[in-house]
Amino acid sequence: MTQPLLQHLCQVLYDSHVGTGIRESDNAFSVIESVHVLSVTLLVGTISILDLRMLGIILREIAVTRIARSVLPLTWAGFVMMAGSGFLLFWAEAAKNYLNPAFRVKVVLLLLVGLNPLIFHTTIYRRVSEWELAHRSPWRARVAACGSLLLWSGVIIAGRAIAYF
Amino acid sequence: MLSPQHWFQMLAHSSLGHYMQTSQWAFAVVEMVHLLALAVLGGSVLFLDLRLLGVTLRAESAAIISRDLGRLLLVSLVVMILSGIGLLSEEAMKCYYSPAFRWKMALLATAVVFYFTLHRRAAARAGIGTVSPSQRIIAVVSLLLWLGVGIAGRAIGLI
Repeated sequence: MTQPLLQHLCQVLYDSHVGTGIRESDNAFSVIESVHVLSVTLLVGTISILDLRMLGIILREIAVTRIARSVLPLTWAGFVMMAGSGFLLFWAEAAKNYLNPAFRVKVVLLLLVGLNPLIFHTTIYRRVSEWELAHRSPWRARVAACGSLLLWSGVIIAGRAIAYF
Repeated sequence: MLSPQHWFQMLAHSSLGHYMQTSQWAFAVVEMVHLLALAVLGGSVLFLDLRLLGVTLRAESAAIISRDLGRLLLVSLVVMILSGIGLLSEEAMKCYYSPAFRWKMALLATAVVFYFTLHRRAAARAGIGTVSPSQRIIAVVSLLLWLGVGIAGRAIGLI
């Protein structure tokens, strides 16, 4: 076996019954893809409301924690749907995706976009009670908000680009 | 007075149409902008309607939420319409004959009119902590209309 392990795993997924089934079905891929786009909208649309609040662009009169509490369950629901549908799409195309530059960029961006809230919640968000009412959040929170908006935009752009390579 | 068909033909033969049809990356880039604006539009519509339904931020003023998210909705709607015209110019005649495209435009027009009339009025009148039945109906109709626009839009590429 001369292939790298990851590429081998992608080939195994690609050749499996489920992967082949999705790829060869008339509608499965486009239906899953539509669900994927809808869940990306749910995830990115709701998290951007929190990001824009921290930047002081919308809903300044409402505490950041209140917005976070109402937005995050929706964001998580979007994330679960996105990850599930995304994995099914990957299953069908794994061997092609492995070689696709846009897909590789997307995976890196997804790792970074996961790191962002991890850092945010373990640092500046711990003292949120001190700044939740401020119309504009402290600069560290604004950096996290900008990072989230930019990285998620990058994920959408790279995700769409997969089809063009 | 020109028929809609003539407008579509003019768009297809315009310099914008010519550029979109011949450029290698223009369609992809404009489509990405369209998708980014879709995320913002979808998020603001959903959040607004969940507030009207009383699911989220029930104790906060619906008028403030409607004002701020309404701006977000308008900005993203304008970006979607402008990028949408760009996408349309690349395949105007295909869209003209596509039932999915016609559905999408009809639903979009309905959703926009509904938003500027009943929806905004309901949000301005909504009380804090209480949810009236008419408010619920308006929120559900709004969600269904926008979802319909999205589904019909996705269908343009499939049928």
